Amino acid sequence: MINDKNSVTNTFWEIFSKQDVNKIDEFQKYMDKFAVNFNLYKDGNFIERSLPFDVIPRIIESKEFDKLDRGLSQRIRALNLFLEDLYTSKNIIKDNIIPEEFIYQAKGYLKELNGISPSKKIRTHINGIDLVKDTVTNDWVILEDNLRVPSGASYPLSIRDTYRKIYPEFFESLKIKPIKEYPSILRESMDYVNCGGINVVLTPGRFNSAYYEHAYLAKKMGAQLVRNSELVVKNKIVYFRNYNGKDIRVGAVYKRMDDEFLDPKFFNSDSLIGVPGIMEAYLSGNVALLNAPGNGVADDKGIYYFVPKMIKYYLNEEPILKNAPTYLPYFEEDRKYVFDNMEKLVIKDVAEAGGYGVLFGHEMTKLQIEDLKTIIKTDPRRFIAQELIEFYDEKCYLNNEIVPRKADFRAYVVMAEEPKVWQCGLTRYAMEEGNYLVNSSQGGGFKDTWVMEE
Amino acid sequence: MEQLLTGNVATNLYWFGRYLERIESLLLEVVPAFDKMIDIDKDCGKELYAKLDIDIEYKDSKEFLNVALFSDHSANIHTLMEFARENAIICRADMYTSAFGTVIELSDLIKKEKNITQVEFRFIDKILSLISEIWGELTRRQKRNTSDYFIRLGKLVEKVDLHLRLERNKEFSLIVMDEIDKIVKILAPDAIFTAHDENDSYEVILNSINAKINKIVIE
Repeated sequence: MINDKNSVTNTFWEIFSKQDVNKIDEFQKYMDKFAVNFNLYKDGNFIERSLPFDVIPRIIESKEFDKLDRGLSQRIRALNLFLEDLYTSKNIIKDNIIPEEFIYQAKGYLKELNGISPSKKIRTHINGIDLVKDTVTNDWVILEDNLRVPSGASYPLSIRDTYRKIYPEFFESLKIKPIKEYPSILRESMDYVNCGGINVVLTPGRFNSAYYEHAYLAKKMGAQLVRNSELVVKNKIVYFRNYNGKDIRVGAVYKRMDDEFLDPKFFNSDSLIGVPGIMEAYLSGNVALLNAPGNGVADDKGIYYFVPKMIKYYLNEEPILKNAPTYLPYFEEDRKYVFDNMEKLVIKDVAEAGGYGVLFGHEMTKLQIEDLKTIIKTDPRRFIAQELIEFYDEKCYLNNEIVPRKADFRAYVVMAEEPKVWQCGLTRYAMEEGNYLVNSSQGGGFKDTWVMEE
Repeated sequence: MEQLLTGNVATNLYWFGRYLERIESLLLEVVPAFDKMIDIDKDCGKELYAKLDIDIEYKDSKEFLNVALFSDHSANIHTLMEFARENAIICRADMYTSAFGTVIELSDLIKKEKNITQVEFRFIDKILSLISEIWGELTRRQKRNTSDYFIRLGKLVEKVDLHLRLERNKEFSLIVMDEIDKIVKILAPDAIFTAHDENDSYEVILNSINAKINKIVIE
């Protein structure tokens, strides 16, 4: 089902019908020329490829986006308070809102960071929240929170520039919210928590799937793009080593790698992409790390279940945006429901991301379901189950025809003193009709997202 | 504020300048050789590549283009361009976006062409035109950044290197050397270098350049 019942969408189609569709190829040419890539590893081979792009934007009316804005800001405030509490006072456990063992079994929970409060008590600096719009309730529903290293913002940013050049008519005739401010919002967040020194973006290197994004964002926000070997830590202070041997202090690091690889002296000693000693500098309050190490616990799919409770607990507010109906096999009552209804549920492995570890009950054989039940019984904390949400399709212009494709929406929320929701986002669509997996790492494409006033 | 660059990025910018200049200089040598071998001196292509310590064989001018550009030797422009592309990707955050885009376009063009049976002369024109575009894009702004100096340094060093290998007029190399010295002074104002003069051998001049480069980037 396609969601196109608003007046701004009609105006878009009127303009679209008058455009030269032959010019659509120019988007691909642009992405090829500037290597706007999302790289993949397939069968052990590194493949440089651009992310498939669809010219038809997702359109969200301003008033609808305002609700998203409020809901997402509320959610990030609560998640930030949760993380700060969890790593310091642990009141949420003491008050039995979340079972203690449930937290401690979360893979992303880093007990080594207990008692540590980061600069300005901000932990959730850059967040990507995945949502879909439910066809039954017509509401936006949150599918997951990405509070570690959410990627993707650079793609709509890059393509918007191109869109304006190829089809300026849309931007002349429609009231589309500008989006160029995203790098400056990031910059504000880095400056806000900066402990004294320059800002850097730490990339695992040019073979990382999102290397394009790392370079793009560093350039746009005026930060230095660095690889691990280009930083040195001396006396618990991080330095950028300039080509002339001069060491320049680093005050904030936007790290684009998972915690376990960040510092071989602190986490995984086999990491070849980390900066030895950076955690010691962080723990001493000499450098800010964005996002804060230890955030993985909050975007654990099992902890997601508790976010509405966190909103009530920390903010004393009702959640503005809902979670997808979720069950935790960890709780006996939920487990019974999951086992009785597995054919209609989506089962997710809490430790996986990027569309991996997602099983659709309706696609599984009886034998597979029985096997899965056995695995769940052995390790119930490892899984969650969700009702399959029938979310709206978006129209896509693929192979010269307009076709429906499932599409989700990743909203970006950047936190400094207060959270700011970027008035755009990454709309990802599945390449095949009826496929619910839209992740870029699963071959999905992206669209621009236009927040528009009537 | 002065543009910051890590040693790794500076080195990649420098080598980017060198590889791109190497492709351009080689093609600028290939063009007159191609013309000459048509009806004046069939072996002039062999002589040219022999000076680069590369042995090549061809039966006519058209085959010369294929062999010169894409045969398995150290001056294969596809390999050189892959190196330049790799350097550019590593330092893309410190490069002008338009120049970077043209580098990728050039790299894709060469990659496509290498699989074609017969290289046409117009292909060389197209490559040279794109390289000129890149140099132009890198010098468009009034004020030069540190990154621009590293690329230009690579370009000039490569120019002298090839010039000396081909045993061309030393005077030209010394003029370029003066320009290299000016850039070195900007990038490493405190470094002390031995002056060169016209009596120095090619080898001494090349060694003197390398000594300068090694003092600029401090790892």
